[in-house]
Amino acid sequence: MKTIRPTAILDYYDGVQTFEGRDAIGGHYIGVFVDVVDKIDQYLVTGVAPERLRQFRAGLLDLRTLLLEAPGGEWYLTLSDGSGGKDFILHPQAEPLAAKEEFLPLPGFLMNDDPIDDQALRAARERNNIVFEFRLQPPEAAAAPRVRADTLAGLLQRLQTLLKCAGQSIAREMPPRQRPADAAALCLMDVVVPAAPGSFRVLLEAAQPLDTFGPRLLLRSLERIDALFAAADAPEQAAELLKPYPPSLTAAYRKLLGFLAEHETSLWYAWAEPTCRDASYSGVSAATAIRLSQILTPAAPAKTPAATKTPA
Amino acid sequence: MLIYREPLPEDCPPETAEEIAGLRIVYRLVRNNPPIADDFRSQRAENPGKEFEDISECRARGVSVYSSRAVVNRWARSLHFKRQGMLVCQVDLDRGAGQIQRTGGRAHYTWWPLAAYDILAVCLVV
Repeated sequence: MKTIRPTAILDYYDGVQTFEGRDAIGGHYIGVFVDVVDKIDQYLVTGVAPERLRQFRAGLLDLRTLLLEAPGGEWYLTLSDGSGGKDFILHPQAEPLAAKEEFLPLPGFLMNDDPIDDQALRAARERNNIVFEFRLQPPEAAAAPRVRADTLAGLLQRLQTLLKCAGQSIAREMPPRQRPADAAALCLMDVVVPAAPGSFRVLLEAAQPLDTFGPRLLLRSLERIDALFAAADAPEQAAELLKPYPPSLTAAYRKLLGFLAEHETSLWYAWAEPTCRDASYSGVSAATAIRLSQILTPAAPAKTPAATKTPA
Repeated sequence: MLIYREPLPEDCPPETAEEIAGLRIVYRLVRNNPPIADDFRSQRAENPGKEFEDISECRARGVSVYSSRAVVNRWARSLHFKRQGMLVCQVDLDRGAGQIQRTGGRAHYTWWPLAAYDILAVCLVV
């Protein structure tokens, strides 16, 4: 009897819709809600290759394709009735999954979110400071929490640049008397937890203590970054959404998206300050980063044809 | 004492939930147009036998709503909800609507409605 234990809820709406699970020897599985049987949820489960699962989580692969490429075409049904304790008992199905259209999602159903917990808010309260947490899903993280040093360094640098540009853009909108002399320096953040347990997560906090002017500017900068990331919900309107912001800020955002696209990684983040009730969440899937990057990259100017000599 | 639409376990809604104190627009998938009261039943009311590790009883007795229309539109196109012919409904939450908490992703919230809040008067299929 094969069993799996759910390890992560990937999608939730009035119940778990999609989840990730592991078997006793570490094999990866995906479970998708298909129906209610005798008032108990029934899930379709297939084995998945770790890299394909990562691509699904990054929005690069649709759910239907992921399910249909199950190793050996094996698929199972399971009920969430607790009969296996914490584990789900898998019942093998003989008919090919491709023939069970009623169990398959429509083509093009992509993940565009990644639930994260409230670590940012908890950490902000513990540290009495503004905390920004992000999570990456690069290809090397498919099987275990891992990220290339270059990818991490590149991302941190681009994030910090984006924050500085946001701070400078806000400072320029302030009356001259209130304008800080060095807005960029006030938006610096320090890495305080370089690899939090769970998946590849990094925690940063404001470089300046909370009782100075700096963090207030940093808070507004983070809100501005949230506004930039709102473009991920509507890529077609992204250019319009970004219009109110100065070119230096949108360029920094574009560079970050380009970096995510190049490294095929999603970026999900949460930030909080100690007194807030709820952390602010945002981010972008790898697929959306690629799309946004293409939409926002200015087209190269058409080359002027070289002058040709006309024969005399 | 606050009376919720469905009986809730102790310490529910959680302390971290927020009391709805002003207008906020959320979206929910419904089966009927115009929506009926059953469209706002919790998953526990719908499926008493439902069990899943990591989902608290309190959350199971809340109602899923989304703060983003784009996200809920995506859900409406998913296999399960499309098969059921689910429709996107806009719900205007205001003072007296109950408590709400973000649970999970960027735009998913669990809403614990108060019994006295007339949901059907403030929802519209869009």
